[in-house]
Amino acid sequence: MLDRLIDQYQHRLLRYLVYLTGRRELAEDLFQETWIRVLERGHQFNDKYAFSTWLFSVARNLAIDHLRRKQPASLDGLMNGKDNDNNDAAPFDVPATGRPSAFDLTLQREQGEHIAAGMQHLPAEYREALMLRFQEGMSLEEIASLARVPLGTVKSRIYRGLSALEPWLKGAQL
Amino acid sequence: MKINAKNNAHERARQLIALSGPEALSAADRREDQPSNAWLAAHLEACASCRAFAENAAETIRGLRSIPIAAERSLVSTTQMRVRRRALELQRHRERLWMVSVSCTAVTLCALLSTVALWRGFEWLGARAHLASSVWQVAFLVFCVMPALVAAILLLAKDTHLPDHTGSYQG
Repeated sequence: MLDRLIDQYQHRLLRYLVYLTGRRELAEDLFQETWIRVLERGHQFNDKYAFSTWLFSVARNLAIDHLRRKQPASLDGLMNGKDNDNNDAAPFDVPATGRPSAFDLTLQREQGEHIAAGMQHLPAEYREALMLRFQEGMSLEEIASLARVPLGTVKSRIYRGLSALEPWLKGAQL
Repeated sequence: MKINAKNNAHERARQLIALSGPEALSAADRREDQPSNAWLAAHLEACASCRAFAENAAETIRGLRSIPIAAERSLVSTTQMRVRRRALELQRHRERLWMVSVSCTAVTLCALLSTVALWRGFEWLGARAHLASSVWQVAFLVFCVMPALVAAILLLAKDTHLPDHTGSYQG
């Protein structure tokens, strides 16, 4: 059963972790740890919440634990993007599709590249909020409960995150 | 004062745009924000800069959605293998725990039954030997603790102790 869940949520979970940590390798490690934790703590899942929300909160806790082990004095590192051991690595690589691309597809891909570059410069909590809202389509309440912050904070993170990405989009249009 | 009110209106409009996204508003959000949506539509008609912000926001969101982050097949299969291995470990651990708890229950039951039987045996012997009840009761106690006492004496005599945390014996 867990095999099927891993198959079903593989891309969504990895995407969430990549956005949260800003590092592909770390996200892949945490991806594996998350499923182990899901196996061990499966009995704690409350079916009044969506499985994806619970899964993401398990992943989120593991990411925070990872940072706590690394920087016992502070939890701000992840949220300030200070966890990047390899700052040159681009976590949001946009691979070439390999298909003969129509103009709008190319444009969209380029736009994606610029937005991806912009995402690397955002604090993790903004990246997380934007990803959960616009890629996962979660409601503001679900994001607030997952991130354990007030609704107003979620709103402000989305607004500020989106505003911060605007210059990057303009770069894409140049 | 007027400038402040105008700025607040722009700020409010932009927040509403950012929160709703192009089509991400859920039905609940829409109901909740219906008056705001009407206000936003009116504001956007009149304000070119907020209209531009709305267009940019929509494009940014489309750009966000076009970032392809996919898990590689090797990562998924490695994860599935690790999860299966861990599931097996957990199952073995549960089986061991079950065995230990069954053994503990059996030992406790046997101990209770044998204590009752022994007590009656000592009582019977005390009555046969015309001993005071305190005498056979003390004898019963000594009999019960004797195995533990003998084991302790033997261990002390051998100058051995419990294993340390590395599993080796000090001596």
